[in-house]
Amino acid sequence: MLRRTVTKLALSAPLLAATGRGALAQDASTISGGFDVGPGGMPGNFNPMTATAGFTWLSLYLEPLVIYDAKLEAVVGALASTYQVSPDQTAYTFRLADARWHDGQAFTSADVRFTIELAKNAASGSNFAARLAAITAVETPDAHTAVLKLSAPNAALLDTLTKVMMLPAHALSAIPTADLPRHAWWSTTPIGTGPFKFNRYVNGQYVALVANPDYRGGKPKVDRVVNRYFENTAGAVAALRSGEIQFSYVESDDVATFQNNPAFRIIEGNSYVVNYLGFNQEVPVWKDVRVRRAVMHAIDRAAIIKSLYGGAALPADCGYVSPALVPPGIDAYAHDPARAKALLAEAGWAQINGSKPITLLTYYNTPLAANVMAAIQAMLAEVGINVVPRIVDVPTYNSIVYAATPDWNSFAMVYAGLQNGPDPSIINIGLNEKQLPPAGANIMRVRMPKLTAAFDAALGETDGSKRAQRYQDVCRVMNADLPWGTLWVTSRYGVASTRLKDFTWIPAPAGGPYEAHPERWALAR
Amino acid sequence: MPRTLRYTARRLLAGAAMLLALSALVFLLLRAAPGDPVDAYVNPSVAMSPQDMAMLRERLGLDRPLPVQYFAWLRQAVTGDLGFSLQGTGEAVLPLVLSRLGPTMLLMASGLLLAIGLGIAGGVVGAVRRNGAADLSLSVIAFLGISSPAFLTALLGLYLFSVRLRIAPSGGMLTAGAAFSLTDLLAHLALPALLLSIGHTALIMRYTRASMLEVLNQDYVRTARAKGAREFSVIARHALRNALLPVVTLIGSTIGVAIGGAVFIESVFNWPGMGLLMVTAVRARDYPVIMGAALIIGGFVILLNLLTDLAYAVIDPRIKVG
Repeated sequence: MLRRTVTKLALSAPLLAATGRGALAQDASTISGGFDVGPGGMPGNFNPMTATAGFTWLSLYLEPLVIYDAKLEAVVGALASTYQVSPDQTAYTFRLADARWHDGQAFTSADVRFTIELAKNAASGSNFAARLAAITAVETPDAHTAVLKLSAPNAALLDTLTKVMMLPAHALSAIPTADLPRHAWWSTTPIGTGPFKFNRYVNGQYVALVANPDYRGGKPKVDRVVNRYFENTAGAVAALRSGEIQFSYVESDDVATFQNNPAFRIIEGNSYVVNYLGFNQEVPVWKDVRVRRAVMHAIDRAAIIKSLYGGAALPADCGYVSPALVPPGIDAYAHDPARAKALLAEAGWAQINGSKPITLLTYYNTPLAANVMAAIQAMLAEVGINVVPRIVDVPTYNSIVYAATPDWNSFAMVYAGLQNGPDPSIINIGLNEKQLPPAGANIMRVRMPKLTAAFDAALGETDGSKRAQRYQDVCRVMNADLPWGTLWVTSRYGVASTRLKDFTWIPAPAGGPYEAHPERWALAR
Repeated sequence: MPRTLRYTARRLLAGAAMLLALSALVFLLLRAAPGDPVDAYVNPSVAMSPQDMAMLRERLGLDRPLPVQYFAWLRQAVTGDLGFSLQGTGEAVLPLVLSRLGPTMLLMASGLLLAIGLGIAGGVVGAVRRNGAADLSLSVIAFLGISSPAFLTALLGLYLFSVRLRIAPSGGMLTAGAAFSLTDLLAHLALPALLLSIGHTALIMRYTRASMLEVLNQDYVRTARAKGAREFSVIARHALRNALLPVVTLIGSTIGVAIGGAVFIESVFNWPGMGLLMVTAVRARDYPVIMGAALIIGGFVILLNLLTDLAYAVIDPRIKVG
């Protein structure tokens, strides 16, 4: 004991002399964390119309009309206290909450019209332009009512609206639309209606918000929330363990560090990203469904989930794992190398490809992903399919799969992921024949009429009670025809200090948004 | 025009030509690398259509021919306008890079000063006490320092001092959201500077030791001793001054390497310097920031090498520049 103390003191002395202090100061009125975009990260993008992630953080000071509940199961009111959908699903009426912008001005239906029109306008850089194209008019019968008129029913509209943050017309209407995407306003003086107000952004370091005492949901319990940025995962984990921050999104590899530690609470949730092996349909080797089925039977998904993911994943037999979307009786593709070999023999694999190498491209470049790729390679080799993993960074991956004149063999097979919820229609962009590039992101060039018909039927379903059944049909076709070899949906993790009270966080895709009630977050001394 | 001034002007002109060549080379290498800023922006698990990606490219001017893009950048760069970051906040590159230069200079200068002080002192002790216990211990430490990669020492230092001992902040330059204070800055600086200095200390120590051993056997040192000069004076005034010449060269050439080491340290400690800026920019394929930062780092290294050459003349009057 004495020796340990002496050693600790000896090691500490030089740094203590330099820093002039011992334990790092803790402030009970400030919550610090890494709230979005990977471990310890933060959104580099403060413009909610061009952001593809970071909505957990953005929704601390900006709010949408409607928002997902904290289970990502239902869309509920946010800035709209209530909403109604017309029987023909072409009119959405929103009754607005009595809210005020951070500069004191009232939030009105004029702001809703301004925001929706801006979000529909591709010149504003909006990611929502195509998704809101069905909106033909925004009517404002009074200051507290906004009506969206649609040219045709759009089952995904409410899901899209959860990410459309309301913007102040009085602050932004003077800025030319073309200047808006990267205008300094977003990172210097943005105002919203949320429980916190934007305070300060220090490039590459942190963003600070201060409490909005006039928030309609009550004054926040802490004075400030700071989103810290860590380039390196180790830095975020170190800051969390040393108590400098109270929350961070973490990689599954780091979860074990916090297990059985009473100072931390591990939050596990569905990633809503289905991982799959994409069969490039422009490459002849995958044309025969028996070959694709052989791939599924060759891979021992249960073993990979157990030994590499530590059980933190659900096997996916189609694009979905939610019980409501998976019909009974579909093929579970049990690990069966003998069956895989027989299917390959039936298909004439020796003539189709034999032992020639097939590139297996992925943008997942963590050590865990490298192990998964190695396992898949070994399992496929066992049945006679010779895949060669190629691990690259995201820009390289995108430059290959989105190339104007693609080299099909450079991504003959991919190990990738695509968001599959909370709205199940979201994977349509990667599988429907109408989404072939350049119109969509069907990068594996899937041309399967039955699948396209199933998606079209689901997307056009106006009866909410029948939607799940339509997506079960999509699942059934995916399972039988295997446009992709679906593998699993993994869990994602956040770690929070137990000092954080009433803290709601889930690893929602793109950060949500969802009902997190940040005004209730508190920090025990 | 004095000879030194002419020499400096000539070197500065050559430096400008080198910077031009550097900018063209970096531009070409960036375009040859797979993926562009739009490819980096798109999250593969939240798909985007190639049509939308093409619109983004058009808006950023990435659809224009390469020579047009380069000369458009160059025309702006010579007026001091290095364009805007292509990342979310879209900040102007010049103020962004300059704002990161200060923290990098602070970290590098602190690390190098520590390394120079400790390295020269250690080298002198090693040479004077050749093959003694002190020399052997210092040699072992030096070899450990030389053979430890920056990312490893950074991660180990972070774990030991921040997580286990909790005596140093885990990252950043100042406490997030707090008002500036010198104590706070020093607290954040101490650990990364110390870790950055390790490799350089070891190298400078070895060079100083070798150079001192050579000088200590020179006739003029023997003469100084024969004249009855005190040992401290012999070491400090006669031997060390002459032994420092190769060490100064080493320090000059170390600066470029130090920037490389700072990339790791800045990345692990989230120190808001050029290294961190470059890592983030490369990951995002942020062409304007990479070009601007490469130009400014290049200019900085050229300037420091010139200063090193000029320093020779100050240290050794026998050397004439030009």
